[in-house]
Amino acid sequence: MSSPTPALSMRDALYEAPGPRTRRRVRIGTAITAVVALLGIAAIVRQFYVTGQLAPRYWSLFLQWTTWRFLGQGLLGTVSVALTAGAISLVLGLLLMLGRTSGVRPLAALCRVVTDFFRGVPSLLLIYFFFFVPAQLGLKMPPFWMLTLPVALAAAGVLTEVFRAGVNAVPKGQVEAALSIGLSPAQTMRKIVLPQAVRYVIPSLIAQLVVVVKDTTVAYVVSFPDLMQNARVLITSYDALVSMYLVIALVYILINFAINKAAVYVSRRTGAKIIR
Amino acid sequence: MSKTDAVEKSGRDVPVIELRHVDKHYGNLHVLRDVSLKVKKGEVVVVIGPSGSGKSTMCRTINRLETIDSGDILIEGEPLPQEGRELARMRAELGMVFQQFNLFAHLSVLDNVTLGPCEVLGLPKDEAEARAMELLERVGVGEQAHKVPAQLSGGQQQRAAIARSLAMRPKAMMFDEPTSALDPEMINEVLDVMVELARGGMTMVVVTHEMGFARRVASRVIFMAEGQIVEEGSPDEFFNHPKTQRARDFLDSIRGH
Repeated sequence: MSSPTPALSMRDALYEAPGPRTRRRVRIGTAITAVVALLGIAAIVRQFYVTGQLAPRYWSLFLQWTTWRFLGQGLLGTVSVALTAGAISLVLGLLLMLGRTSGVRPLAALCRVVTDFFRGVPSLLLIYFFFFVPAQLGLKMPPFWMLTLPVALAAAGVLTEVFRAGVNAVPKGQVEAALSIGLSPAQTMRKIVLPQAVRYVIPSLIAQLVVVVKDTTVAYVVSFPDLMQNARVLITSYDALVSMYLVIALVYILINFAINKAAVYVSRRTGAKIIR
Repeated sequence: MSKTDAVEKSGRDVPVIELRHVDKHYGNLHVLRDVSLKVKKGEVVVVIGPSGSGKSTMCRTINRLETIDSGDILIEGEPLPQEGRELARMRAELGMVFQQFNLFAHLSVLDNVTLGPCEVLGLPKDEAEARAMELLERVGVGEQAHKVPAQLSGGQQQRAAIARSLAMRPKAMMFDEPTSALDPEMINEVLDVMVELARGGMTMVVVTHEMGFARRVASRVIFMAEGQIVEEGSPDEFFNHPKTQRARDFLDSIRGH
């Protein structure tokens, strides 16, 4: 429980320290893996060369300033949708979790249904919903929201569960101690449980933000100019499918790499102290 | 109820804590059987008994961390409220110290102690901090005020937890096996703080296995087994002349070595 024994890192807890034979096996394994990886990359590059994908006409567009400006605009679109959807899903997920864990039975049931619905339905289907249904009812919704809302709702469904897991992970004694100094249940949630629960789940929150970024790539359904949509436009005008997808795949990887780095930094700063 | 009423009532010997015919079940398990107990102002009641005897449960019913099935719990003659603001106010007036310390893991030791006074009593931050520092010094962890609980030893954490309770200026304090989770060399530093509190006139209910503490400090020893209060008396009566076979067996079993 809250005993002061220092927690082992996951690695230490799962594996014992390697002995000499294991260390040798690890070195051999590493060497083999490296060779296989290099061979694989060489094969891919060779295949590209053979099929002519490395020809200058597929790559010269990346020498033009306008290409990068257009992709940059798309990136801006992706980032603004992801950040807005991320912010909405955090708030909504938190509210749904509070509703679900509240003692009020009908509210808890309602929140549960809503959560399970958004969690269960593919986000593409939600996007189709926002694309077609408001229009049918005569509501004009900008493409930005037709994309942002469904992505946010899908993420909120997951975050509700993430927050709930976090709240459940806070030891019961913390709540008892808070109640016993006279805090109300609401104060206990706000001052004691939530701050700790959020620290527990920061890694999962960040993982979900990565999912949000990836979900935004279906923007083409609603013709919202995000990175993927703009790339598709360039692909049709330059006929440069493989090179373009390779480049924007790299951009997405970089975005998510940055998010993960930020996550590690944040959880070091906030979480390490209490969990150590 | 105003302060003066409380003083008058306690002057007329109204017990600070009173349990009347309290019963509680966990499913089929009858954990508290017709438990009645009075704790007067300034008394130190030490509750001992084998594990599973219901002593912790009884301790936790007093501020309603455990509910009861039937019977009454009175605090200074007033029935313990069942919920809401009234219950929170009553809990604020009763200190509770746990086996696992339960310091708020995300707050510094100082913030652990000031949280209640600031949030519940509405004390200004600087006043609450000054008082908190005084209390932390008193229990000997002033140096640790700005660390988080995980950086303290068990004994230091428990002393800080006692300071957290004291900061609410409670009418009475419950200790639920406060030294059971401690390494042996840290037990005394916590007991010393409790002895000092008892000498200072604090009304205390202490669930413990520390027989030395019970002998030295208890005004009364309560012996519980199978959810009942089996025997009750002064430390001398209980330890030297136990009346029941159940108590004699228990004392023999812990004196085995």
